[in-house]
Amino acid sequence: MSTILKMFAFPASFIIICLGVLTILGGHITPGGGFQGGAMIAAGVILCVIVYGVDESPIKFSHGFISAIESIGALGFVLIGLAGLFASGFFLYNLGADFYNILPQSIVNIFHYPDPTNAGIVPYLNIFVGLKVFVGLSAVVIAFSQFKRITDTGNPEDKVNPEAEEIIGD
Amino acid sequence: MLLYLGPVIFGFLIGFILGSRIKNTPTSNIKFTVGSYVVIFIVAIIVAWQLGPFPYYTDLPIASGFLSAAIGLITGKLIFGRYSI
Repeated sequence: MSTILKMFAFPASFIIICLGVLTILGGHITPGGGFQGGAMIAAGVILCVIVYGVDESPIKFSHGFISAIESIGALGFVLIGLAGLFASGFFLYNLGADFYNILPQSIVNIFHYPDPTNAGIVPYLNIFVGLKVFVGLSAVVIAFSQFKRITDTGNPEDKVNPEAEEIIGD
Repeated sequence: MLLYLGPVIFGFLIGFILGSRIKNTPTSNIKFTVGSYVVIFIVAIIVAWQLGPFPYYTDLPIASGFLSAAIGLITGKLIFGRYSI
Protein backbone atom coordinates (compact mmCIF):
# COMPACT_ATOMS: atom_id res chain seq x y z
CA MET A 1 0.00 0.00 0.00
CA SER A 2 1.10 3.59 -0.56
CA THR A 3 2.79 5.72 2.08
CA ILE A 4 -0.13 8.14 2.20
CA LEU A 5 -2.49 5.29 3.09
CA LYS A 6 -0.06 4.04 5.72
CA MET A 7 0.14 7.46 7.33
CA PHE A 8 -3.64 7.87 7.33
CA ALA A 9 -4.86 4.38 8.26
CA PHE A 10 -3.71 4.12 11.87
CA PRO A 11 -5.01 7.56 13.05
CA ALA A 12 -8.30 6.84 11.26
CA SER A 13 -8.57 3.43 12.90
CA PHE A 14 -7.88 5.07 16.30
CA ILE A 15 -10.90 7.36 15.84
CA ILE A 16 -13.06 4.51 14.44
CA ILE A 17 -12.20 2.37 17.48
CA CYS A 18 -13.18 5.18 19.87
CA LEU A 19 -16.48 5.61 18.00
CA GLY A 20 -17.05 1.85 18.32
CA VAL A 21 -16.52 2.05 22.09
CA LEU A 22 -18.97 4.95 22.24
CA THR A 23 -21.53 2.90 20.27
CA ILE A 24 -21.16 0.01 22.72
CA LEU A 25 -21.56 2.30 25.73
CA GLY A 26 -24.66 4.00 24.29
CA GLY A 27 -26.30 0.76 23.23
CA HIS A 28 -29.02 0.83 25.88
CA ILE A 29 -30.35 4.30 24.96
CA THR A 30 -29.35 4.88 21.32
CA PRO A 31 -29.31 2.83 18.12
CA GLY A 32 -26.36 0.51 18.27
CA GLY A 33 -25.08 -1.80 20.95
CA GLY A 34 -22.57 -4.55 21.48
CA PHE A 35 -22.60 -6.07 18.03
CA GLN A 36 -22.58 -2.80 16.12
CA GLY A 37 -19.89 -1.23 18.28
CA GLY A 38 -17.81 -4.39 18.16
CA ALA A 39 -18.10 -4.41 14.38
CA MET A 40 -16.90 -0.78 14.30
CA ILE A 41 -13.89 -1.63 16.46
CA ALA A 42 -13.16 -4.61 14.21
CA ALA A 43 -13.42 -2.27 11.20
CA GLY A 44 -10.62 -0.16 12.67
CA VAL A 45 -8.47 -3.23 13.24
CA ILE A 46 -9.26 -4.61 9.77
CA LEU A 47 -8.31 -1.27 8.18
CA CYS A 48 -4.86 -1.57 9.76
CA VAL A 49 -4.50 -5.23 8.76
CA ILE A 50 -5.40 -4.48 5.14
CA VAL A 51 -3.18 -1.41 4.80
CA TYR A 52 -0.10 -2.56 6.74
CA GLY A 53 -0.45 -6.33 6.52
CA VAL A 54 -0.60 -8.65 9.52
CA ASP A 55 3.15 -8.50 10.22
CA GLU A 56 3.51 -4.71 10.21
CA SER A 57 0.10 -3.74 11.57
CA PRO A 58 0.35 -1.41 14.61
CA ILE A 59 -2.60 -3.25 16.18
CA LYS A 60 -1.52 -6.82 16.74
CA PHE A 61 -3.95 -9.46 18.02
CA SER A 62 -2.19 -12.63 19.13
CA HIS A 63 -3.93 -16.00 19.25
CA GLY A 64 -3.90 -15.95 23.04
CA PHE A 65 -5.43 -12.47 23.19
CA ILE A 66 -8.20 -13.39 20.76
CA SER A 67 -9.10 -16.59 22.61
CA ALA A 68 -8.95 -14.83 26.00
CA ILE A 69 -11.26 -11.97 24.99
CA GLU A 70 -13.67 -14.36 23.24
CA SER A 71 -13.83 -16.45 26.41
CA ILE A 72 -14.30 -13.40 28.65
CA GLY A 73 -17.13 -12.14 26.45
CA ALA A 74 -18.99 -15.44 26.37
CA LEU A 75 -18.41 -16.29 30.03
CA GLY A 76 -19.37 -12.81 31.21
CA PHE A 77 -22.66 -12.96 29.36
CA VAL A 78 -23.48 -16.42 30.74
CA LEU A 79 -22.40 -15.52 34.29
CA ILE A 80 -24.62 -12.42 34.34
CA GLY A 81 -27.49 -14.60 33.14
CA LEU A 82 -26.76 -17.20 35.81
CA ALA A 83 -26.56 -14.49 38.48
CA GLY A 84 -30.11 -13.53 37.53
CA LEU A 85 -31.16 -17.17 37.67
CA PHE A 86 -29.74 -17.76 41.14
CA ALA A 87 -30.89 -14.44 42.61
CA SER A 88 -34.41 -14.29 41.18
CA GLY A 89 -35.24 -17.58 39.48
CA PHE A 90 -35.20 -16.09 35.97
CA PHE A 91 -32.26 -16.48 33.59
CA LEU A 92 -30.92 -13.04 32.53
CA TYR A 93 -33.18 -11.27 35.03
CA ASN A 94 -32.24 -7.58 35.11
CA LEU A 95 -30.63 -7.52 38.56
CA GLY A 96 -29.57 -3.89 38.26
CA ALA A 97 -33.08 -2.58 37.58
CA ASP A 98 -35.25 -5.16 39.43
CA PHE A 99 -38.56 -4.24 37.78
CA TYR A 100 -40.50 -6.88 39.82
CA ASN A 101 -39.11 -5.65 43.18
CA ILE A 102 -38.11 -9.13 44.30
CA LEU A 103 -34.47 -8.51 45.20
CA PRO A 104 -32.74 -6.90 48.20
CA GLN A 105 -31.33 -3.45 47.51
CA SER A 106 -27.73 -4.63 48.06
CA ILE A 107 -27.86 -6.92 45.00
CA VAL A 108 -29.48 -4.20 42.90
CA ASN A 109 -26.71 -1.78 43.87
CA ILE A 110 -24.02 -4.24 42.76
CA PHE A 111 -25.44 -4.66 39.25
CA HIS A 112 -26.71 -1.11 38.78
CA TYR A 113 -24.96 0.63 35.87
CA PRO A 114 -23.76 4.07 37.06
CA ASP A 115 -25.72 6.38 34.78
CA PRO A 116 -29.16 8.05 35.07
CA THR A 117 -31.05 5.61 32.79
CA ASN A 118 -31.63 2.74 35.28
CA ALA A 119 -30.65 0.23 32.57
CA GLY A 120 -29.38 -2.41 34.99
CA ILE A 121 -27.38 -5.21 33.40
CA VAL A 122 -28.08 -4.25 29.76
CA PRO A 123 -24.91 -2.10 29.35
CA TYR A 124 -22.83 -4.93 30.83
CA LEU A 125 -24.31 -7.38 28.33
CA ASN A 126 -23.53 -4.89 25.54
CA ILE A 127 -19.93 -4.64 26.71
CA PHE A 128 -19.46 -8.42 26.79
CA VAL A 129 -21.06 -8.83 23.36
CA GLY A 130 -18.88 -6.01 22.04
CA LEU A 131 -15.71 -7.67 23.33
CA LYS A 132 -16.70 -10.96 21.72
CA VAL A 133 -17.65 -9.41 18.39
CA PHE A 134 -14.59 -7.22 17.88
CA VAL A 135 -12.14 -10.07 18.37
CA GLY A 136 -14.33 -12.48 16.40
CA LEU A 137 -14.62 -10.31 13.30
CA SER A 138 -10.95 -9.31 13.52
CA ALA A 139 -9.95 -12.98 13.80
CA VAL A 140 -11.85 -13.77 10.60
CA VAL A 141 -9.87 -11.21 8.58
CA ILE A 142 -6.55 -12.16 10.21
CA ALA A 143 -7.27 -15.81 9.41
CA PHE A 144 -8.13 -14.97 5.79
CA SER A 145 -4.85 -13.11 5.38
CA GLN A 146 -3.00 -16.13 6.77
CA PHE A 147 -4.88 -18.48 4.41
CA LYS A 148 -3.55 -16.46 1.50
CA ARG A 149 -0.04 -16.91 2.84
CA ILE A 150 -0.58 -20.67 3.12
CA THR A 151 -1.79 -20.90 -0.49
CA ASP A 152 1.22 -18.89 -1.67
CA THR A 153 3.95 -20.69 0.27
CA GLY A 154 2.36 -23.77 1.83
CA ASN A 155 3.45 -22.64 5.31
CA PRO A 156 1.82 -19.96 7.49
CA GLU A 157 5.22 -19.06 9.01
CA ASP A 158 6.91 -18.35 5.67
CA LYS A 159 7.04 -14.96 4.07
CA VAL A 160 4.96 -14.50 0.96
CA ASN A 161 6.82 -14.68 -2.34
CA PRO A 162 8.34 -11.17 -2.72
CA GLU A 163 7.36 -10.98 -6.40
CA ALA A 164 3.77 -11.84 -5.56
CA GLU A 165 3.83 -9.30 -2.70
CA GLU A 166 5.08 -6.65 -5.11
CA ILE A 167 2.26 -7.41 -7.51
CA ILE A 168 -0.27 -7.18 -4.69
CA GLY A 169 1.29 -3.90 -3.53
CA ASP A 170 0.92 -2.40 -6.97
CA MET B 1 -21.70 18.71 38.79
CA LEU B 2 -22.51 15.00 38.77
CA LEU B 3 -20.19 12.91 36.59
CA TYR B 4 -21.72 9.70 35.25
CA LEU B 5 -19.12 7.05 35.93
CA GLY B 6 -20.47 4.25 33.70
CA PRO B 7 -19.20 5.41 30.28
CA VAL B 8 -16.03 6.85 31.80
CA ILE B 9 -14.97 3.62 33.55
CA PHE B 10 -15.98 1.12 30.89
CA GLY B 11 -14.83 3.31 28.00
CA PHE B 12 -11.43 3.47 29.65
CA LEU B 13 -11.36 -0.31 30.23
CA ILE B 14 -12.24 -1.25 26.63
CA GLY B 15 -9.79 1.35 25.33
CA PHE B 16 -7.10 0.04 27.66
CA ILE B 17 -7.59 -3.53 26.43
CA LEU B 18 -7.26 -2.38 22.81
CA GLY B 19 -4.40 0.01 23.55
CA SER B 20 -2.35 -2.78 25.07
CA ARG B 21 -2.33 -4.39 21.61
CA ILE B 22 -0.89 -1.34 19.80
CA LYS B 23 2.76 -2.18 19.17
CA ASN B 24 5.59 -0.51 17.33
CA THR B 25 6.95 -2.55 14.46
CA PRO B 26 10.71 -2.01 14.03
CA THR B 27 10.73 -3.36 10.46
CA SER B 28 8.00 -1.01 9.24
CA ASN B 29 9.01 2.10 7.28
CA ILE B 30 6.18 4.06 8.94
CA LYS B 31 6.99 5.08 12.50
CA PHE B 32 4.35 6.53 14.83
CA THR B 33 6.28 8.62 17.32
CA VAL B 34 5.14 10.28 20.53
CA GLY B 35 4.28 13.38 18.53
CA SER B 36 1.99 11.32 16.29
CA TYR B 37 0.07 10.09 19.30
CA VAL B 38 -0.21 13.62 20.68
CA VAL B 39 -1.72 14.80 17.37
CA ILE B 40 -4.09 11.81 17.24
CA PHE B 41 -5.20 12.52 20.82
CA ILE B 42 -5.87 16.21 20.03
CA VAL B 43 -7.94 15.12 17.01
CA ALA B 44 -9.81 12.71 19.30
CA ILE B 45 -10.60 15.57 21.71
CA ILE B 46 -11.93 17.66 18.81
CA VAL B 47 -14.10 14.76 17.59
CA ALA B 48 -15.42 14.22 21.14
CA TRP B 49 -16.24 17.94 21.38
CA GLN B 50 -18.04 17.86 18.04
CA LEU B 51 -20.03 14.79 19.13
CA GLY B 52 -21.30 16.73 22.11
CA PRO B 53 -22.91 15.09 25.14
CA PHE B 54 -23.57 11.80 23.34
CA PRO B 55 -25.56 9.67 24.18
CA TYR B 56 -27.82 12.00 26.15
CA TYR B 57 -25.34 12.28 29.03
CA THR B 58 -25.43 15.98 29.80
CA ASP B 59 -22.87 15.92 32.61
CA LEU B 60 -20.08 17.12 30.30
CA PRO B 61 -20.21 19.10 27.03
CA ILE B 62 -18.16 16.38 25.28
CA ALA B 63 -18.68 12.67 24.57
CA SER B 64 -17.20 11.29 27.79
CA GLY B 65 -17.21 7.66 26.58
CA PHE B 66 -15.32 8.61 23.43
CA LEU B 67 -12.74 10.64 25.34
CA SER B 68 -12.21 7.98 28.01
CA ALA B 69 -11.75 5.37 25.26
CA ALA B 70 -9.07 7.58 23.68
CA ILE B 71 -7.36 8.03 27.05
CA GLY B 72 -7.57 4.27 27.63
CA LEU B 73 -6.03 3.55 24.23
CA ILE B 74 -3.12 5.89 24.90
CA THR B 75 -2.64 4.57 28.45
CA GLY B 76 -2.73 0.94 27.33
CA LYS B 77 -0.25 1.73 24.59
CA LEU B 78 2.10 3.46 27.06
CA ILE B 79 1.94 0.68 29.67
CA PHE B 80 1.77 -2.57 27.66
CA GLY B 81 2.28 -1.66 24.01
CA ARG B 82 5.80 -0.27 23.94
CA TYR B 83 7.61 -3.09 22.22
CA SER B 84 6.80 -5.31 19.32
CA ILE B 85 6.19 -9.02 19.92
